[in-house]
Amino acid sequence: MDGLDGSDAILQQEQQQQSLNPKDWIAVDPQNAWDLLHEERSLMTRLTTSCADLDDILGGGISCKQVTEIGGVPGIGKTQLGIQLAVNVQMPSYCGGLGGKAIYIDTEGSFMGERAQEIAEACAEDISEYKRFLHKDLQACQGEIQGKDVLQNIYFFRICSYTEQIALINYLEEFISDHKDVKIVIIDSVAFHFRQGFEDLALRTRILGEMALKLVKLAKMCNLAVVLLNQVTTRYMEGSFQLSFSLGDSWSRCCTNRIILYWNRNERYAYIDKSPYLRPAAAPYSVTARGIRNSAPHCKRSKLV
Amino acid sequence: MSQIQSDPSTHNNPRPAFMTPQKLLPVEKCSLGCPILDCCMGGGIPCNSITEIVAESGSGKTQLCLQLSLRAQLPPFLGGLSASSLYLYTEFPFPTRRLHQLSSALQCQYPQIFASNYDPCDNIFLQSVNTADQLLDIMPQIESFLENSKTRLPVRVIVIDSMAALFRAEFENTASDLIRRSSLFFKISGKLKEFAKRFNLVVLVTNQVMDVVDSGEGVNEVRIGNLSGMYSSGRRVCPALGLSWANCVNSRLFLSKDEYESGLVGVGESAFLSRETRRRLHVVFAPHLPDLSCEFVIRREGVVGVNR
Repeated sequence: MDGLDGSDAILQQEQQQQSLNPKDWIAVDPQNAWDLLHEERSLMTRLTTSCADLDDILGGGISCKQVTEIGGVPGIGKTQLGIQLAVNVQMPSYCGGLGGKAIYIDTEGSFMGERAQEIAEACAEDISEYKRFLHKDLQACQGEIQGKDVLQNIYFFRICSYTEQIALINYLEEFISDHKDVKIVIIDSVAFHFRQGFEDLALRTRILGEMALKLVKLAKMCNLAVVLLNQVTTRYMEGSFQLSFSLGDSWSRCCTNRIILYWNRNERYAYIDKSPYLRPAAAPYSVTARGIRNSAPHCKRSKLV
Repeated sequence: MSQIQSDPSTHNNPRPAFMTPQKLLPVEKCSLGCPILDCCMGGGIPCNSITEIVAESGSGKTQLCLQLSLRAQLPPFLGGLSASSLYLYTEFPFPTRRLHQLSSALQCQYPQIFASNYDPCDNIFLQSVNTADQLLDIMPQIESFLENSKTRLPVRVIVIDSMAALFRAEFENTASDLIRRSSLFFKISGKLKEFAKRFNLVVLVTNQVMDVVDSGEGVNEVRIGNLSGMYSSGRRVCPALGLSWANCVNSRLFLSKDEYESGLVGVGESAFLSRETRRRLHVVFAPHLPDLSCEFVIRREGVVGVNR
């Protein structure tokens, strides 16, 4: 596991930087920070979204070690993207996956087993196809991935209240230390239970802040991707109603990357709203029977059965 | 099938339990008793989920709710859940006559299931609700009703007809009222989803539509779901209760109706233009369904899909 060793190295360097001895502080070479950044960038593994256009603007896919927030109106495909990522993380790295397992935290009850199965089976087929393409002259590839195995590798939690949600987030670190092959944590959606009439908004902000901090730490320490799906809401700003992510600004500051999903005429688009490395860009995508895929341009959205 | 497992490292305090999605398969669904409608909805209305039907009045929302409540009583091999229903209604009077009509049609269809001395209407429990606060207040009673139902069949269906009516009166268009309203949405939906999960319920709610007013600069409402515009009776409409509520349901269906002049009937001076209503069911959004729609008609024996 190169990635893990690399992250340890970074952590050690960070610890050195934080040393209390003032000499160490002075001794830090400016070049070191550059090295650090450079190293981190080269180590940054990406997880494919199964939509090439979206991967392109994301620099290869959803980044590991970071928290990515994805928001959009109901029906735009947040849950579909969530399921797709939970499946894709299991693909071998030559297919754009991370060869790991997924934790899926469902707070809304929108995760449908049959839909996950459809996407998992399509993904298993794609991998077999790709393997056959790679090893044309070799005999039948070993270790054929099956749709049902893919489902087995998703640790699914259904959460029915915000207290359960907080308890689970607190427990994640322990769970992941027992299940080291987990490479992605998806929360669908992070907001639902926090919109049920919190009287004390300051308390809500504090709880959410702590939760976000834990997730940021988890992503970094355990070298995994954290994907938070969020709802959007209308907010009255400067004389008109505008769409914005729910849970407020202080929450959004905690997420490293933010992607907005929206309708542009009859096409679904994803827009990178915030990212430390990527420039703002938009790409079309579509939700097909097989999962998230490239949008077929200029043709009428096909009705899939 | 994998069982729900608790983490092996559990000591004394209970740990959140995970399962694999295979535990969620197959997704139990309640058939509407029509292959065309069922096909459009992937086999029926799913359990452990909130499904919303949006339509203007007279489109068939209540018809579908009544039909589901009756059909749920059928055994699983006939597409039902062997379950009774809790029907929360807001509009007076409750359509008792129509329910009896549908009930006797169902009895005729399955005489072997319904013995002559037993009326399917006895397995539909009615409760009138007037306001959203009242609905929230009776949630504990609903919970205990679901928990210790002494009913012949377990309660596996909750219908709320209609959600929009609960929010009709007492909310002003001020910021504080809108916040109070949306927090009520999330409280109600949170409770319903909790029940849906615990008791594996079908939750079916209805919602009304509002006319979309074109302000002259084009319509700038937020598009939600598969339809770029919802049209019914020739008018552009949008679901009541707004974006916040749309976040609270898992699936949304839209029923549209449109009148056509289908041609001249009769001869000579007594001829008149006959008008025909065409109704369609559209999947607006659903985590498990593609963008589908189908045409349907409302008959004496219930709502049925038609291939055209």
